[in-house]
Amino acid sequence: MTSRALAGVRVIELCEVWAGPVGGSLLGDLGADVIKVESYPRFSPTRPLDPADWRVAPGEGPAYEHSWAQHQGNRNKRNMAIDLRREEGAAAFRRLLARADVVVDSFSAGTMEKLGFDWERMHADAPRLIRVSLPGWGLFGPYQGYVAFGGGFDCVTGHTAVRGYPWRGVEDTSPITHSDATVPLTLVFAVVTALRERERTGEGMLVDLSQVEELATQIPGILAEWTLNGRLPARVGNTEQHVAPHDCYRAAGDDRWVVLAAEDDAQWGALARAAGHPEWAEDGHPWASVVGRLREREALDRALATYAAGAEPEAIADAVQAEGGLAAPVAGPQEMLLSPQLNARGWFPTVDHPYTGPRIQAGFLWRFAPDAPSWDLPCGLVGEYNRELLREHGYDDREIDRLEADGVIGSSYG
Amino acid sequence: MTQPLEGIRVVEVGDGVAVACAGKQFADFGAEVVKVERPGGGEIRRLPPFPDDRPHRDRGGFHLSLDTGKRSLALDLGTPSGREVLGRLAAGAQLALVELAPELAGRVLATVGDAIEAPSTVALSPHGLGGPYAGRRENDLSIFAWTTRMHRHRLEDEPPLRYAPHVVAMQVGLTAAASGIGAVWGQLHDGIRRDAEVAAVEALAGNVDTSFVAWSLSGGAPSVPRRSRGTYPVGTYGCKDGFVQLTAGDSPFFERACRAIGRPEFIDDARFRTKESRPPNHEAFLAVFQPWLDERTRDEVFHSMQAERVLCTPILDVSEALRGAQSVARGSYVTVDQPGVGAMTLAGPPFRLGGVGSEAWRAGPAPRLGEHNGEILDALGYSADEQQALFRAGVTG
Repeated sequence: MTSRALAGVRVIELCEVWAGPVGGSLLGDLGADVIKVESYPRFSPTRPLDPADWRVAPGEGPAYEHSWAQHQGNRNKRNMAIDLRREEGAAAFRRLLARADVVVDSFSAGTMEKLGFDWERMHADAPRLIRVSLPGWGLFGPYQGYVAFGGGFDCVTGHTAVRGYPWRGVEDTSPITHSDATVPLTLVFAVVTALRERERTGEGMLVDLSQVEELATQIPGILAEWTLNGRLPARVGNTEQHVAPHDCYRAAGDDRWVVLAAEDDAQWGALARAAGHPEWAEDGHPWASVVGRLREREALDRALATYAAGAEPEAIADAVQAEGGLAAPVAGPQEMLLSPQLNARGWFPTVDHPYTGPRIQAGFLWRFAPDAPSWDLPCGLVGEYNRELLREHGYDDREIDRLEADGVIGSSYG
Repeated sequence: MTQPLEGIRVVEVGDGVAVACAGKQFADFGAEVVKVERPGGGEIRRLPPFPDDRPHRDRGGFHLSLDTGKRSLALDLGTPSGREVLGRLAAGAQLALVELAPELAGRVLATVGDAIEAPSTVALSPHGLGGPYAGRRENDLSIFAWTTRMHRHRLEDEPPLRYAPHVVAMQVGLTAAASGIGAVWGQLHDGIRRDAEVAAVEALAGNVDTSFVAWSLSGGAPSVPRRSRGTYPVGTYGCKDGFVQLTAGDSPFFERACRAIGRPEFIDDARFRTKESRPPNHEAFLAVFQPWLDERTRDEVFHSMQAERVLCTPILDVSEALRGAQSVARGSYVTVDQPGVGAMTLAGPPFRLGGVGSEAWRAGPAPRLGEHNGEILDALGYSADEQQALFRAGVTG
């Protein structure tokens, strides 16, 4: 059984794609009872019907049950599929809300209201219910209702403008989904903070979590450069303005790379010894000092490029680290899977699933003692827990059969 | 107003960006956070930028942004005397966040664990407290390199690339905050003290934006979007005053984009109607689309596209982000009066409890190094003579 820290907390998750669902899984890892309510018959973008879709991993059965994009963010929760646009579906959902502590949605502002779930009514029906809403742009403001995605948030906060190659234009910056990783963490914090506030006041509340604002809190250095000195930060790529060396170098092997850096003289000494040139760090050598290395950054880089080209990245990292220096291979999925550290710590779980079979998964974000997180429930199937959960909420089997026959709930798409 | 985390006491130990980020989440929502830092001031106080580029341990941009509302105790934890003070400070607290080099981390965690009414703990480190790499020193770049992100964040003919500096440490800090607040809630309700461990590589590699799961579930095949010039408009496009990013290659977004540019007839045009007919007609689409963009500013493109619910955003620099209509209307950024520096703009609340105008979140000024030594040691019951003895021995600073 997974951690019990949030035992007794019931969360309804009405979220698609990544930011919200990953947050739901993290709450599940901590022991919350998480119920994922998926839309029906409309399906999430991470549940494609087409087996040729690029997100679909090999497997048995319907494509939408073995999409890696769905599996990536949906452990430790029980899935339902309900048509909330139908009155009977909305009624079932209201019963879920009546017994929940928290409901999390990631719709654009206004969508819940269109479904008949405006906050005033939700609060009147269930005064202790907490609603956390994660619209991209927040619940209010002139962009209310605007649509968005993770890569777009990165563009509007100022991160995209600085994370590209220094020698290329901003248009050559790859899209990323960084906020899909940070928002779930903030969601966990928001849920527990709201629960704590409810203990004090006895009342539920609405929490407005704008993904744009959340991401803006994650780039303090970029903002400080502007606000303290009126300068826009430069694109520095893999370098640091005040640290040399600090870069990514081509190593031996097929498109293999290693990162090397020395933040102080001791780390530089270690790197110099590993490279077979202890004299680089001896008094009097132009590279022995912080300032000397900054002034001769280019020559230093050439020397290190030669060193890096002579061995595989793992061998270089091992040698430099053995001396007390700082180095790491640029790992793709395969190299990460072979990491001696992650394997020694038993980090990769093998998770079985009816449609993919057993697969190696990425492990948990944290360890917990005494009650460690565990993968109690693999990615849920469409409507897998419809019956179990409706029974828990007072429906009898005949009523559930009728909801199914009427297409108010379902267990397949397409 | 009472803040939601009032009454929660957090001891933040260490000098890194990650632990400072973790402590900030608690402090800004009202927890009482004591930052225990080395007497000379560590990484967070030494990181540029500084006002006028003049280094000063109380004026660094990261320190001013992330140590908001905390109290500072400058204490040498490498000594038994320092650890004795820490043990008293930890007694009765709800959480200790610890980011220290491995050997010292072990000693400090033992001190905290032995405290009377000991708090739950979160230990932050690059690779975790155990395993063959436990002793390795890493930084933002090298942690990132291990997690498949750098491998993927690149253009085909260029080296692998990280994100902006210190973004990695920030994410590790948020991970520590999330697990930490879970532990706090748990202990308050079941009385069980929990020890969490956040290894930076695991925290990033286990989160959603890596290529590992796609690769593993696909049986080791490289999983890349099967996008080509046949799927459009997708990506970054130039316009009158800069660039916008949009994702409108698939239905219903393509149809919406056609309406946004005033060419609804493209929806039923044989050249663009199906997935099969679209690829050879990319140039024909661009011949209409690019001139439409060229005549419009980022803002005009953004609002026209959003009016049709197309996933489109302008690419802004940080000064533009601050001035954006949405940021201004919501108060997404706040001004904090930082002693010695003056008014400084910081990112505002990561979420708003209770909606508009909520006072649940507040960023206070960041403390000078050791600013609260005296009041903290007083409260722990150290006499004036004892405090002078600690100072004379270099335990406090």
